[in-house]
Amino acid sequence: MSTEQVSHQGEMEQFSYDDKVVKKYILASLFWGFAALLAGVTIAFQLSSWKFNFGLEWLTFGRLRPLHTNAAIFAFVGNAIFAGVFYSLQRLAKARLFNSFMANFQFWLWQLIIAGGGLSLLLGYSHGKEYAELEWPFDIAIAIAWVLFGVNILGTLWKRREKHIYVAIWFYISTFVTVAVLHIVNSIEIPVSLMKSYPVYAGVQDALVQWWYGHNAVAFFLTTPFLGLMYYFVPKAANRPVYSYRLSIIHFWSLIFLYIWAGPHHLLYSTLPEWAQTVGMVFSVALWAPSWGGMINGLLTLRGAWDKVRRDPVLKFLATAVTFYGMATFEGPLMSIKSVNHLAHFTDWVVGHVHSGTIGWNYMMVAGIFYFMIPRIWNTTLYSVKLANLQFWTATIGLLMYMMSMWTAGITQGLMWRALDDGGRLVYPQFIETVVKIIPMYWVRAFGGVLILIGFMFMLYNIFKTIQQAKKEEEPVYQAPALSSAKPEAHAGTHRKLEGMPMVFTILALLAILVGSLIELVPTLTSHKYLAQKTFMKPYSPLELVGRDVYIKEGCYVCHSQLVRPSPDEYIRYGTVSLAEEHVYDRPFQWGSRRIGPDLARVGGKYNHMWHYKHMIDPRAVTPGSIMPVYDWLETKKYDHKTLRKKMKVMASLGVPYSEDEIDNAIENAKAQAMGIANELSESGVSKDIADKEMVALIAYLQKLGADVKQAIKDGKVIDKAGGAE
Amino acid sequence: MSTENKSENIILDDEKALVLDHDYDGIQELDHPLPSWWIATFVGTVVFGVLYGMYYLWAGGLTLEEEYAQDMLKINKAKAELASKVDVFDQKAYSTWTTKVGLAKGAEVFEENCMTCHEENGKGDIGPNLTDEYWLLSDGTAESVYSIVNKGNEDNGMPAWGEVISKDEMYAATAYVMSIQGFEHKSGAKEPQGKKIPRK
Repeated sequence: MSTEQVSHQGEMEQFSYDDKVVKKYILASLFWGFAALLAGVTIAFQLSSWKFNFGLEWLTFGRLRPLHTNAAIFAFVGNAIFAGVFYSLQRLAKARLFNSFMANFQFWLWQLIIAGGGLSLLLGYSHGKEYAELEWPFDIAIAIAWVLFGVNILGTLWKRREKHIYVAIWFYISTFVTVAVLHIVNSIEIPVSLMKSYPVYAGVQDALVQWWYGHNAVAFFLTTPFLGLMYYFVPKAANRPVYSYRLSIIHFWSLIFLYIWAGPHHLLYSTLPEWAQTVGMVFSVALWAPSWGGMINGLLTLRGAWDKVRRDPVLKFLATAVTFYGMATFEGPLMSIKSVNHLAHFTDWVVGHVHSGTIGWNYMMVAGIFYFMIPRIWNTTLYSVKLANLQFWTATIGLLMYMMSMWTAGITQGLMWRALDDGGRLVYPQFIETVVKIIPMYWVRAFGGVLILIGFMFMLYNIFKTIQQAKKEEEPVYQAPALSSAKPEAHAGTHRKLEGMPMVFTILALLAILVGSLIELVPTLTSHKYLAQKTFMKPYSPLELVGRDVYIKEGCYVCHSQLVRPSPDEYIRYGTVSLAEEHVYDRPFQWGSRRIGPDLARVGGKYNHMWHYKHMIDPRAVTPGSIMPVYDWLETKKYDHKTLRKKMKVMASLGVPYSEDEIDNAIENAKAQAMGIANELSESGVSKDIADKEMVALIAYLQKLGADVKQAIKDGKVIDKAGGAE
Repeated sequence: MSTENKSENIILDDEKALVLDHDYDGIQELDHPLPSWWIATFVGTVVFGVLYGMYYLWAGGLTLEEEYAQDMLKINKAKAELASKVDVFDQKAYSTWTTKVGLAKGAEVFEENCMTCHEENGKGDIGPNLTDEYWLLSDGTAESVYSIVNKGNEDNGMPAWGEVISKDEMYAATAYVMSIQGFEHKSGAKEPQGKKIPRK
C-alpha cells in the first residue's frame, strides 16, 4: 500500500505506524469506561434511594461521585484521546510515533494513576476540588504522563513528512499546552504527609483557580481533543472534504482564545470580584459562535453523505455526537447568563448539561472513532452492525431520559428554592420538601443511566467479537517523500505558512490561552484583600481543622454548598450572605457546585451537637425523607491527631496566624475541645468514648461554619446588608 | 468505506471549484466562505458582551449587592407587614384552636415541624420535654409559648416559626403544646430542664 503515488521529485522514504500502543489505549479506555459508567449508575441509584449507599464508608455517594467523574474524564475519555490522537497524528504527519517506549511508559503510568487514584478516592484521600481530587503524588505522576504525551506529539511532528499540519493537529497542540498549564497551576500544594496536602490558594483565590481549571478541563480535555478527532474521523469515514478551511482557522483561534476566560461563570453570585464574574459571563456568551463553528464544519462535511449516516454506525455515532455538541454549546452560554445561572446553579440542570456533553459528545465520539479504528488496526471487519445500531439507540434514548429528567428536576427545585409568598416567607421552608419532590426524576435518570450502561456492554461484546476474528498481518509499510523535498507553496497565506511551523504554532497557541488566564487570575491572586491580615475570622482550632479534613474526606462538598448568594430567598433560608473575608482560611475552598442537601455556610449554631450526632447516625431520624447516607462509622473511627501539628505548621507557612504555642499544644487543645462536645452529648446519653472520634471533630467544624460572621455582626464589625438600607 | 486515497472522496458539483490543494491522509478541504448567519451570531454576541460589560463595569449598572439591597427592601416591607399581624396574640382567636378539631390540626402541625427536636408527644430530645412542668423560656402561659414559637430563640436553636408557618398554624401548635402536659410517655422522656412553673 502507499499513501501517495510515486512522485517525481524527492527520495521516497519507507515507514510504518505504531498501532500496537493505540490498541492498548483503546482496550484501557473500554475497560475504564465500563467502570466509570457502572459507578455513575450506582450513584444515580444512591440519589433515588439512600439504601444504595449500602452503609459502607467507601461506597457512599460522597466518595463514589468523585470516582465516577475522574474515571469518566481521565480514564475512559483520557485513554480514548491518547488512542485517537496517536492513531490520527501518525497518519496526518506520515511518520511513525516519535518514541514508542515513551508512549508505552505513558500508557502504564496512566493506568497506574487511574487504578491507584481510584482506590485512594474510595479510601477518602481527596483534595476536595472537583475533577482535581487526586492527592499530590498522583498530581506529579499526571504531570509527567502529560508531558510525555506532549513530547510525543511534538516529536512526531518534528519527524513529519507532511509539510503542513492539519486542523486536527492544531487542536491536539492546544490540548497539550493548555491542560499542562491548567493542571500544574491548580495543583500547587504543600504536602502534609504522603496522602495529604493543602493548596497554596485559599478561599476566593482557590475558587477562582479551581474553576479556571475546572471549566477549562471541560474545554481542553473534553472539547478540543475531540474537535481534533472529529476533523480527522468525520471526513475519513464519510469520504467527504471538510466543509470550510477558513471556518477551521477562525473557529479554532477564537475558540481557544475565548474559552479560557469563561471559568468564572461557575462562580456567579459568589464573592469573586464582580468584574471577573461579568467578564466570565460575556466571554461564555461569545463562545457560542466559535463552538458552533466546529459543529457546522462537522455537519456540513456530511453534505451528500447523509445516506451513509443511516447505514454506517461510525458515521451515525459521529454525526449524533456533533449534534449533541451543538446542543450543549448552546445551552452552556445560556446557563452562563447571570439571571439564568441564578436559577440553574446548584441544581440538576447543570448535571444534565454536563452529561449531554460527556455522553452525547464524548461517549458518542469515542464509539464512532473506535468502530472506525478497530477493524482497521486489527485487520478485520466489525462483528455486528446490528449490535452497534442497538447500542446507538439505547445510548440515545438513555441520554434523552437523563437530560429531560435533569431539566425537570433542576428547574423544579430551583423554582421551589426561590418561591416566596406575599409575606416574604419561603413557600417551601423545609429544604427536604424540594428534595422529595424531585426523587421521581432521580429514578428516571437512573434508568436512563442503566440503558446507557447496557448499550456500552453491547459495544464491549461487539468489539470483543471483532477482535476475536482479527487476522494476523505484517505491519503495513507506507512510503512518502521526505519533508526536505517539499517545495514551498506559491501564494501561501500567513496562516498557511504558520501550518508549516508546528513549534511556532505551539507557542502562539500557548500565548492565546495565557492572555485570558493572566488577565483574569493575576489581579485576584495578587490582591491582599483575600489573605488573612486584619480579619474578624478566627483561624480554625486544631479540632475544627481535623473536622474540616473529615468533611473533605467524606466528600460532603459533593452535596452541600458553602456559599449563600445575595438574593432574598437565600438570605431567608440560610442567613447572612457570604462574604469574601470569611473564606481566608479555607484551604481548599468548599463552596461546592450542587445542593443535593442544603447549604452549610451558616449551619454553625443552628442546631445543637446532639442534632448533628443523630443526623450522622441516622439522617432520617431528624429529617424524615432525607436521602443522605448513614455516617455511623464517624462514631467509631478515631480522628487523626498524629499529623495535626504538621498540618498546622503547613497552614502557618501559608500565612495562617498560628503561634508556636498553639502548634505545640495542638493535640491537648483538640482534646479539650472534643471533651466539651462529648460532655454535652453525654447529657443525652451518648458515651463519652466519642471524645476521640471523627464525629466530634466534624461537629466542631460544622458548628464553626458561619459562627465568626454571626459574632462579627453582633460586635458591629460587619454590617448585615439584609436590612436593605445600607 | 474509507481509504487513504483522496480520489475516492465524494465531491459535489457545486463544490468542484472550492477544492483546495490540501491532502492530509486523503482528507481534502473546501474553501467555503464563512456562513453569514454564523458571522452575524459571532458579531452579535461580541457586541452584546462589550455593551453588557461596559454597562455593568462603568456605566452605572447595579452591582449584585445593590440589586440584592433593593430586593431586600421590598421583602423586608412585606415581612414587617406580616409580622405586625403575626406578633399580636389574640386570646379569642387562640381559643378557637383549643377545640377537638383545633387540637387535631395542632397535632398535625407539631408532627410536621416540631417533632424533629421535641419528639413524639413532646417527650423531648434535642429540644426540651414539653410535657413536664418545667420551662426554659416560657412562663407557662399560652401567650408566651406562642411568642417563643413565633420568634424562636437563637441561643437554644429554636427556629422563628413566624417566618415559616402561618399564624393559624402557630395557634394550633401552641394549643397542642398546652394540651399535652402530663402526657404519660411509655419510655424515654427527657429529664426536666429550667424552672418549675405549672401551666396556666
